[in-house]
Amino acid sequence: MTMKDYLIRRLIVIIPTFFLITVIIFTLIHLAPGDPTTMMGGARPLREDVKEKIRIEYGLNQPIPVQYLIWLNKLLHGDLGYSYISGSSVIDMISARISLTIELQLLAELLSIAIAVVLGVIAAVKHHSIYDASCSVGALIGYSTPDFWLALMLILVFAVWLGWFPTSRPETVGLTFTTPFHALFDHLKHMFLPTLTLVTVWTAYLFRMVRSAMLEVLTQDYITTARSKGLKERVVIYKHALRNALLPVVTYVGYSIGLLFTGAVVVEEIFALPGLGQLMVERSEARDYPTLMGLSIVIAIMVLIASLCADIAYAAVDPRIRYD
Amino acid sequence: MNSRLHTNSKKKNEKVHRPSRATRLFIVWRKLKKSKLAIAGFGIVLLMSLVALLSPIIAPYSPDSPSGSSRMPPSMEHIFGTDNLGRDMLTLVMYGARISVYVGIATVLIEIAIGLSIGMTAGYFGGIIDEILMRVADVVFTLPMLMMVLLAISMFEVRSINIIILVMAILEWPLMSRVVRSEYLSLREATYVEAARSMGASNLRIMVRHILPNILSVMIVLATMDIPWFILLEATITFLGFGDPMSSSWGVLLERGFPHMSTSWWIITFPGLALLITSLGFNLLGDGLRDALDVKVRE
Repeated sequence: MTMKDYLIRRLIVIIPTFFLITVIIFTLIHLAPGDPTTMMGGARPLREDVKEKIRIEYGLNQPIPVQYLIWLNKLLHGDLGYSYISGSSVIDMISARISLTIELQLLAELLSIAIAVVLGVIAAVKHHSIYDASCSVGALIGYSTPDFWLALMLILVFAVWLGWFPTSRPETVGLTFTTPFHALFDHLKHMFLPTLTLVTVWTAYLFRMVRSAMLEVLTQDYITTARSKGLKERVVIYKHALRNALLPVVTYVGYSIGLLFTGAVVVEEIFALPGLGQLMVERSEARDYPTLMGLSIVIAIMVLIASLCADIAYAAVDPRIRYD
Repeated sequence: MNSRLHTNSKKKNEKVHRPSRATRLFIVWRKLKKSKLAIAGFGIVLLMSLVALLSPIIAPYSPDSPSGSSRMPPSMEHIFGTDNLGRDMLTLVMYGARISVYVGIATVLIEIAIGLSIGMTAGYFGGIIDEILMRVADVVFTLPMLMMVLLAISMFEVRSINIIILVMAILEWPLMSRVVRSEYLSLREATYVEAARSMGASNLRIMVRHILPNILSVMIVLATMDIPWFILLEATITFLGFGDPMSSSWGVLLERGFPHMSTSWWIITFPGLALLITSLGFNLLGDGLRDALDVKVRE
């Protein structure tokens, strides 16, 4: 079997998974007692005849399986419907906000992988040293810290008390930038605390993984062989051990994009960043079903793509995989 | 007749030593005691559970009525200060422990019930059943957790802690079922399972009476490690405004303190610290148990 065949097979598996996800999301939404018309009109509930009209207009009077098929058909044509609250197109709302969420995720993920790998490898090599012990305890504390509370503490210290960083929004309001560099600098300054929050928690998480994977690999026979061949310790660690230790880490990172999104929701909400997470929280309270379903689908697709990338990376890194 | 007598006498001479349950517990405890971190974790968990149980007795003030003026900084009377309604923060944090400990344990129990039965079935029977169950587990695992929880919670008319618990457990079982499945997959080939089967034991009996006791230590470690995760998740959900506003869960306290954070730091600091310490305690204990019970769990 070649790499190409493997990729095709992997892609085919995605299709039933995707359909199962659409079924779950649709069912979850329609398990709810009442329908969207109960929430429309806010404090003044709509009259029954008005509700009936809306139900007919949105197709809410159809049986659930029919509604699902209609929704799925639209979905496959790239139509996610219109918000019950604002009336704007869901796909437009999502595309306007998606870049900020992806930026935050990528920034946090890449930084934490880099830091965690470096710290984790050193800790594993210097097993039982003071450095290892303090890093491990530090990681355990970071891992136990609620991310939203960390965000609040960072705001308190760096924004409220020290005044070094702004507390919210992706850029300073009402400021005209003279150069693009100035604009970028301002943006990065606003992204600093949100990114720091995610990086702290994530580094702690990944550090534990890298360290334990590395410790396990270092006891293997092939490492002893490499050492007894007289290879330099650096070559043994970085070429032989690290490559194998990274395998579980790669898979895990791919599958945990959804988990990272959890952190992003909270951080976007606290720092008032207009990303997907903030939209999600806002619309959950208002029960804006089309927007929520659209968001869930888009995020599920992102997670599927990430796990696919992880599998490909795994296959590429691991020489033992024969694609079968 | 003769041979039976023979086996009996042989058994008597050998004196098969099987440690009692209490002794086995003691062995684990002795191993656990070697790690200072694990003992610290055990202490924290014990302390938090005691606070949760005894909060109506040991809390200095009432959690429902003001005991001072609004937003007083920490002092001798109010060690953690007061909130914007003048209630004592220490009291509120103590009552919050009740909710967090309850959430952690209740969610894990439901998660075990789901994860164990699905993982057990998939691993023991294998084949097409395994294929289907694990595909479903994969899909549920792919769903963005917090998003699904918010989605499900916003569906209900009432805001209640039990709904949050149920939703979290329903969405979080896949990882546990995967571990259980792989244990059953290998243990079903064990000789003692074959022996039990040859004696006519039913599938259910083999799964529950013969295999389950052998994966008990894995389950204990997994459960201990999942408790802090559920506690933090519940706090996150309630912080985002999806909790029961009448309860004084740590997440609700933080949500209410958020608007006042720039003027009164203590309102958001102490409930968060309590969260951090509790989750740290369970994580330390989980790590310690993993080493003491010699269980391999992917972090």
